[in-house]
Amino acid sequence: MPDNQGLSHLSDHFLIVAVVLYSLAVIAFAADFAFGRRSPVVTRAKAEVPDLVPAGVAAGGVEDGAAESGTAHDAAGPDASGVGPASTRPGSTRPDSTGPGSTGPGSTGPGSKGPGSTAVARLGGQGRQPAVPVSRLVGIALTLTTAGLALHIAGVITRGLAVHRVPWGDMYEFVISVSCVAVLFFIGLMIKYRPYHLGLFFMAPIVIIMGLAQTVIYTPAGPLVPALNSYWLAIHVTAMTLASGTFMVGAVLAVVYLFAERHTRRVAAGLSTRYGEVFRLLPSAERLDQIAYRTVVFAFPIWTFGIMAGAIWADQAWGRYWGWDPTETWAFITWVVYACFLHARVTAGWRGRRAAYIQLVGFGCLLFNLLGVSLFITGLHSYAGLS
Amino acid sequence: MTGLRVPPGQAGSARPDEAAAPGGPSGPAGSPSSFGLAGWARWGWRQLTSMRTALVLLFLLAVASVPGSLLPQQGIDPAAVQQYYVSHPALAPWLARLSLFNVFAAPWFAAIYLLLFLSLAGCVVPRSIRLARSARTPPPPAPRNLARLPQSARHESTLEPAAALDAAAGVLRRRKFRLRTGDGWVSAEKGYRRELGNLVFHLALLALLCSVALGGLFGYKANRLLVSGTSFANTVTALDEFHPGRLVSSSDLQPFTMTLNRFAASYVTSGPSRGQPLSFNAYVSYSAQPGGAVRHDNLRVNHPINVDGVRVFIIGHGYAPVFRVTDGTGKVVFDQPVPFIAVNTSGLTSTGVVKVPDAHPDQLGFAGVFLPTAVDVNGQLESAFPAPLDPRVSLVSYKGNLGMDSGPPQSVYTLNTAGLTQLPVAPRPLAVGQSIKLPGGAGTLTFTGYRQWISLAITYDPGQLPALIAGLAALAGLLLSFFVRRRRVFVRAYPGPDGRTVVDVGGLARSDPAGGFDEEFTGLARALEKASRGSSTDTPSLTSTTEGKSH
Repeated sequence: MPDNQGLSHLSDHFLIVAVVLYSLAVIAFAADFAFGRRSPVVTRAKAEVPDLVPAGVAAGGVEDGAAESGTAHDAAGPDASGVGPASTRPGSTRPDSTGPGSTGPGSTGPGSKGPGSTAVARLGGQGRQPAVPVSRLVGIALTLTTAGLALHIAGVITRGLAVHRVPWGDMYEFVISVSCVAVLFFIGLMIKYRPYHLGLFFMAPIVIIMGLAQTVIYTPAGPLVPALNSYWLAIHVTAMTLASGTFMVGAVLAVVYLFAERHTRRVAAGLSTRYGEVFRLLPSAERLDQIAYRTVVFAFPIWTFGIMAGAIWADQAWGRYWGWDPTETWAFITWVVYACFLHARVTAGWRGRRAAYIQLVGFGCLLFNLLGVSLFITGLHSYAGLS
Repeated sequence: MTGLRVPPGQAGSARPDEAAAPGGPSGPAGSPSSFGLAGWARWGWRQLTSMRTALVLLFLLAVASVPGSLLPQQGIDPAAVQQYYVSHPALAPWLARLSLFNVFAAPWFAAIYLLLFLSLAGCVVPRSIRLARSARTPPPPAPRNLARLPQSARHESTLEPAAALDAAAGVLRRRKFRLRTGDGWVSAEKGYRRELGNLVFHLALLALLCSVALGGLFGYKANRLLVSGTSFANTVTALDEFHPGRLVSSSDLQPFTMTLNRFAASYVTSGPSRGQPLSFNAYVSYSAQPGGAVRHDNLRVNHPINVDGVRVFIIGHGYAPVFRVTDGTGKVVFDQPVPFIAVNTSGLTSTGVVKVPDAHPDQLGFAGVFLPTAVDVNGQLESAFPAPLDPRVSLVSYKGNLGMDSGPPQSVYTLNTAGLTQLPVAPRPLAVGQSIKLPGGAGTLTFTGYRQWISLAITYDPGQLPALIAGLAALAGLLLSFFVRRRRVFVRAYPGPDGRTVVDVGGLARSDPAGGFDEEFTGLARALEKASRGSSTDTPSLTSTTEGKSH
């Protein structure tokens, strides 16, 4: 099987440029927190609508959750599916159709397109979500992320073309693919929920992981060992890749949730908080918790399916569908811990922080399976390709 | 698990009517009022079937699995367990006493999952009954003030209130809602399949456990090393290892025979992954009964052979150098291939022993290393490639008593040197055809060639198909319970102050883990508005207060 080394090198180049773009995106996201001049949208709106809340309050004083459960975004209410944040319904000219809080940052009507909001408007799908003020830097960061993702996908595909198979046959390929899924899912979240300011927290780990993948566990493109030479590789590992990438997003959300929840409690208790500015830009703790939960709800069935597909493959390859091989055991432990999380979410006294910790333990198990078991424990799944 | 009744999508805002489900001991179950036996039993049962207990048991299951992956396990790698005894002589017996070398068959592990499944059953069965009842009960009447519901909308209609309600009922019926109508209101409910999915998932897990048990009782696993050119029959005596299920007797084995005609392995010959295996092909012939029709097949990794429901897998391979030994009396006392076991995978350097108990005057023994492609690295011989490009054998020779006639049975892969003396033979790796002449007229050993061997796993598991079906059912149930939401929609129509009919629509998702009810409600409210327009061309107004969920 002649592997196409040219394509393999092309893949490496794509991925390196992707990492560079992601790094720039991280810098842009971070710079937005530090120096972002929030929302030309709001300033403009202030000029147009006299009775608007002060721009500073609109930009940061209104907690996301409050904005959502309140009426700040309701002008674009139930019929605003699929329109960008800066558009209005045709029927909104009736005076009574705009709610009391309809002058919120996201619903300022036509002509409110600030320079930064164009990229955002393209990405933002649903007008119903609360609009958090965004600076031009966020638009730049999202554009960089999207461009990086395109190269990331191209890198994964060329790697697959170079080796004539699905490009997740060794640990390097798996890590690259998992991070690709995570970025894809992140972009999906941006479109669905628009928590743009979470970008820093998503992309920074991605950059670290991909950087480590390129430097520490890089494996040259090569053919598969016979044990992996099965169409079940495409089924089982694809499911595991998708689920892992999604769980990763969920774990980031859980971490941010824990900080946001702490911040919320401190604010409620009247204590001083050092990072109030940051948390004002982030979705509310409840919202984070909700998105994290939905992420797990999405990934858990895929993980379940992945374990089942793996069991069927193990049955084909080794003659038993379950043998408590270390990797199988840890996939099972991960599954059980995430099941704990799902049950904890609906058990009185276990919601919130405790559930978030359980979710993080679950992701820890997943990581241990990927890194610890592959590298330190010998088992049937020792395919890392590292020696 | 009773606590699941609380809608998962509504964390932090559990509705009181859901959280305080009748009989739902999701809070601390009350202590028994009377401390009679029945009281204690009821209290214990409520504790066991509470969500909290299930959660703790689930945690315990995860934690209990951990040592099974960190310590060597008897059922997976018995040799590694032996090694652990050698390297940790003080600790190992204690670990063994706690079943830590056999975690997944340990009593305490079984206790955890049996309690968990008991807790599950105690929760799932009453829920099934409740589901069956609720599927026959109509939805509750519409609340008075629909604007207080998490989702609400209002529109005006040119139709009379009754006609507007009829139109709304039509829309909801077409969307497969279950309806209940009253004076000026319609209430509708949908999504019973969510609860059904939840039940199917948990019941399927029980079924999965039963399938595993079925395999454990009636199935068996066996291993057999088969040298190229030889045959074996699937009988207990011919198998190297045999792990029968609890209810399997030796007469239950399917009586097939199998011959390995040829084994071919191919490897990457150049580049960074040189020596990595590419393919293993074992050309075998087999018959289901002795004397039955012979079939030929190519046994490969991921392509087992199925004989009579028993499946045969190739799980390993190696070399068996062939030795001919002439003893001190000049008689050929040994001439056969001896399987050597690979000690590294990159070059397939293999070790093995040759035992010649029939040699006279002294028994002979040899411990050796087989190198498929021998190369000299700083005076050390190593194997550079797994294929036999330049095969060599290096042997240490012994004579004396092999100790095979007394004492415990020996492994064929180790030499008990207690009764043996090493012979002073100059170490010289043998090429094919070369011999060692043992000093003192003890005999001659000739390395006449080599063959390849494969190791086979033979498995029979009647629980396999039930396990697959249970697994698929669990997955289907999981998807239903995650992505079907149980939701109620209420419509009220009444005459407004300006004479036009006001239609209020309210909605609430009782469980919406994947989210999206708000979007569905938006679409539904629009459809209801459209239906209530009737034939009028007048565009009704629309005001709505769709609130975000649960803040």
